[in-house]
Amino acid sequence: MKIILQIGVVLGICLAGEGISLLLPIPFPGSVIAMILLFLLLLSGLLRPDHIRQKSDFLLQNMAFFFIPAGVGIIEYADSLLPVLLPLLLICLVTTILTFAASSLTARLVIYLQEKAAASKKEGE
Amino acid sequence: MDAIISSPLFGIVLCILTFEFGVWLNKKLKTPLCNPLLIAIALIIAVLQVFKIPLENFMEGGDIISLFLAPATAVLALSIYSQLAVLKKHFLPVLCGCLAGSIVSMVSAAGLCMAFGLDKALVAAMIPKSVTTPIAMEISRQHGGLVAVTVAAVIFTGILGAILSPLLIRIFHISHPVAQGVGIGTSSHAVGTTKAVELGEIQGAMSGISIGVSGIITVILSLFLPI
Repeated sequence: MKIILQIGVVLGICLAGEGISLLLPIPFPGSVIAMILLFLLLLSGLLRPDHIRQKSDFLLQNMAFFFIPAGVGIIEYADSLLPVLLPLLLICLVTTILTFAASSLTARLVIYLQEKAAASKKEGE
Repeated sequence: MDAIISSPLFGIVLCILTFEFGVWLNKKLKTPLCNPLLIAIALIIAVLQVFKIPLENFMEGGDIISLFLAPATAVLALSIYSQLAVLKKHFLPVLCGCLAGSIVSMVSAAGLCMAFGLDKALVAAMIPKSVTTPIAMEISRQHGGLVAVTVAAVIFTGILGAILSPLLIRIFHISHPVAQGVGIGTSSHAVGTTKAVELGEIQGAMSGISIGVSGIITVILSLFLPI
């Protein structure tokens, strides 16, 4: 599909996500609604991956780049941030380790339980 | 000179130059500490400070780049769709891992912030720090958090994940590639996922899926935040 149309499809879905977000009674990010919308369109076959492939590759491969201005924006809050910088960095370190442990150990446990259930099912046969 | 720095093109060109320098330095030094995003942010802040350029001038162009964050989140749907077969086979472990990780991340961030006596705007900013930036920014904004703090925390968390994940895999004896990917994606989103991709194809795919799944779980959980 022509690149301009791909951009149109992705931005159109984002705009629809923003619109739905406004209509919802609860605060839910428009960008996440757009992600769900796009996933459903792909699942239903209404949209094929090649309809948005180039535009998606461009966005995903350069994802880090789009975060630069948001990161630079932090200097606006430098005065209120500097006194708490050390605790904030420490919190990031501790929560990252805890989150990694919780998610990977849980996934490992569920895989182990699934395999055990499958094995005992086989034995019973 | 004023005409140059007040043009939106100034911010855009500055972002591209510093980011490309960061990518080059990262390739040259081969250390995860040299994260291109981190280098670009640090260099731009230095340039603005040294030449006394107001932040508003940079943001003329910066805001245009930020516009791409929403579409970048939306197209994560394509990554998940591409890995549908892997996701179907390991759906339950991925979902349970992401759920446990998201809860621990939000609760531990809130708990530690309160233990340090930080104010409400900082607590709200830190709670969504483990998910991908556009989602974290949105959750933070909706709960009255300092969005810039969220962005800094998210980026720092991602870099930490990329550096620490090989070590954490050994410490917690995570040998299954699916569990490794879920751990990396849930704790350190897209920046950590770059390390998961290096570890292997399954790790990369699972980490990518975990970004989206944890993002959605965190959004849903944040609706019930008491702040």
